[in-house]
Amino acid sequence: MATVTFNQVSKVYGKVKALDALDLHVEDGEFISLLGPSGSGKSTTLSLLAGLQDVSGGRVLIGDHDVTDLPPEARDLALVFQNYALYPHMTLFENIAFPLKARSPRPARAEIEQRVFETAETLGLASLLERYPKEISGGQQQRVALGRAMIRNPRVFLLDEPLSNLDARLRIRMRRDLKALHAKIKSTVVYVTHDQSEAMTLSDRIAVFNEGRLQQLGTPEDVYYRPANRFIANFVGDREANMFSATVRGEGLQSRLEGAGIALDLNRCLPPELPRDVLAGVRAESVSICDPSATGVHAIGRVTDVELVGADLFVFVATETGTEICVRRDPRERNRPDQTVGLTLNAGDIHLFDPVTDRCVSFGDAGASNSSNL
Amino acid sequence: MSEATFEPPRRGAWRARVARRTAGSLVVNAVIALFALFPILWGLSTSLKPKDEIVAYPPRLLPSAVTFEHYMRVFNDSVGHYILNSTIVTAAAIVLTLAAGALGGYALARFQFRGRGMAMVFIVGVMSIPIASLLVPTYSTLSVLGLLNTRTGLVLLYTAYQLPIVIWTLYGYFLSLPVELEQAARIDGYSSSRVLWRIVLPLSKPGLVAAALFVAVFSWNDFVVAVTMTSSESVRTLPVAIYNYLGFYGREWGPLLAASIISIIPIVAGFLFLQRYFVSGLTGGGTKG
Repeated sequence: MATVTFNQVSKVYGKVKALDALDLHVEDGEFISLLGPSGSGKSTTLSLLAGLQDVSGGRVLIGDHDVTDLPPEARDLALVFQNYALYPHMTLFENIAFPLKARSPRPARAEIEQRVFETAETLGLASLLERYPKEISGGQQQRVALGRAMIRNPRVFLLDEPLSNLDARLRIRMRRDLKALHAKIKSTVVYVTHDQSEAMTLSDRIAVFNEGRLQQLGTPEDVYYRPANRFIANFVGDREANMFSATVRGEGLQSRLEGAGIALDLNRCLPPELPRDVLAGVRAESVSICDPSATGVHAIGRVTDVELVGADLFVFVATETGTEICVRRDPRERNRPDQTVGLTLNAGDIHLFDPVTDRCVSFGDAGASNSSNL
Repeated sequence: MSEATFEPPRRGAWRARVARRTAGSLVVNAVIALFALFPILWGLSTSLKPKDEIVAYPPRLLPSAVTFEHYMRVFNDSVGHYILNSTIVTAAAIVLTLAAGALGGYALARFQFRGRGMAMVFIVGVMSIPIASLLVPTYSTLSVLGLLNTRTGLVLLYTAYQLPIVIWTLYGYFLSLPVELEQAARIDGYSSSRVLWRIVLPLSKPGLVAAALFVAVFSWNDFVVAVTMTSSESVRTLPVAIYNYLGFYGREWGPLLAASIISIIPIVAGFLFLQRYFVSGLTGGGTKG
């Protein structure tokens, strides 16, 4: 087990900056997710940590050791690949035993056998050890890949989208298994994923990447409830946040937000440098539908579409200016297209973004204290 | 016009069509096979004919009585020794080309280094030089090295001639392997040379077999190079020995064809035995996605 530190690490391919001056510190025993869309730099970060690619600048440290110039085999870490990378010409036993046999000093045969059996037992593979990778299912292959990573007790575990090739249900089950595994072995884990819900459920902290830059580093609550910029507000969460252009009127606690057919009191102190014209962002669960004639309605709109997604009903409402707002409701509610409805927004959940820099200039700090603003 | 009438196809009509197509393709393939195989079958038949029947007119397709006298004769002429020479030279050329070709092909496939593009252009370029134009310069080179009239000299020449195509074949095969397997082995503790030896080569059997067959066919069949570079009987290879039956005292068709048939056998057997490697994928199940 060890800490991991990236110190001003960058990676350049020709003219493309795949990773730009990354500073990131991972605590000992922490489960950290590198989250981002493809091409965001998250997989590059993992490759640089594993030593599969050379850095273009900066230093990488594992514990107190500078490993920047060490080859992969000298870094004492384990990597689970997205496609598992099991050795097809070896049995599962040989696959799992591989990291023990590959290193010197090589443990005694009896010890290798015992450790392979223990690992296989933990992962429910004990009855399959004489088979070849092509003879087992995708979920089992995935567990063999995990077993091969676990057996050596490496200082750091790297996982590169390990669940993305599994079907949806198995993926959710393996997610819990992974979490339980981490709780048990308490290793430092660096987990790369483009699936924000995976990152949210598994991680102690999430590092969100976009365009080769670290956008935000924080707990799942942080990135969900206090997105640093517009990209994160859209990327984290099952759905994009509702965004609309608006103008802030009034000062201090009297400030009001108006725009896109929506008008409401913000009831919060705004930073002095806040521009008058902002981009307001609010998640679907922070908007409610009510009777259009009710008092305190923030907007009136027309239902354009209704989507039932299992436990949730998503209702799309176009305001008077045509801006579409997505609302999450209880599926037992009935809404139909062309119905006229009223909208109320939870003022404490609205984030205000600078329309020029896209940075968040005023968080709705709902996650921290939902009631304090009401 | 009246309503379009729609006649349902006769039941079983498609079966007849499939049968006709199968029969047609069988006939075409049989004609092609016969055309290609006829000289060999004719040679086989002749090698089994009694001496006086070989040049009989009109020619007989099949021997009236099968005889092995020509085969006895070539073995008495120490054809075994020439087979041994050919085997040694071929085997050594295969080992050398695969060893050097695997290293070269792997370097080109997986490492970025200065001059890599140039090296690849060069390798493809030298493949197009005809061997005939290399005979004189390589003859002088061997003579300077003192390797004329030795099996070592032949092995080195065969290796040099065949190395480019072996490198190119293996390079292409290595590229088709998932690089994650090699990365996994590196992270698990292998050095890059062990990765090549223990992970890449075991998974490259089809590529290695294909490359080895190229070299085997060339080295086993080579006549021009062997007849130019060797002269003594002790290092004579089989194709040169066969040529000697077109000898001084007239053409000895029986022994000539018997020796030819013997020389074909290893190549045919090799292809039949190794053919599964061309069709089977060995890397199945290792990676997903």
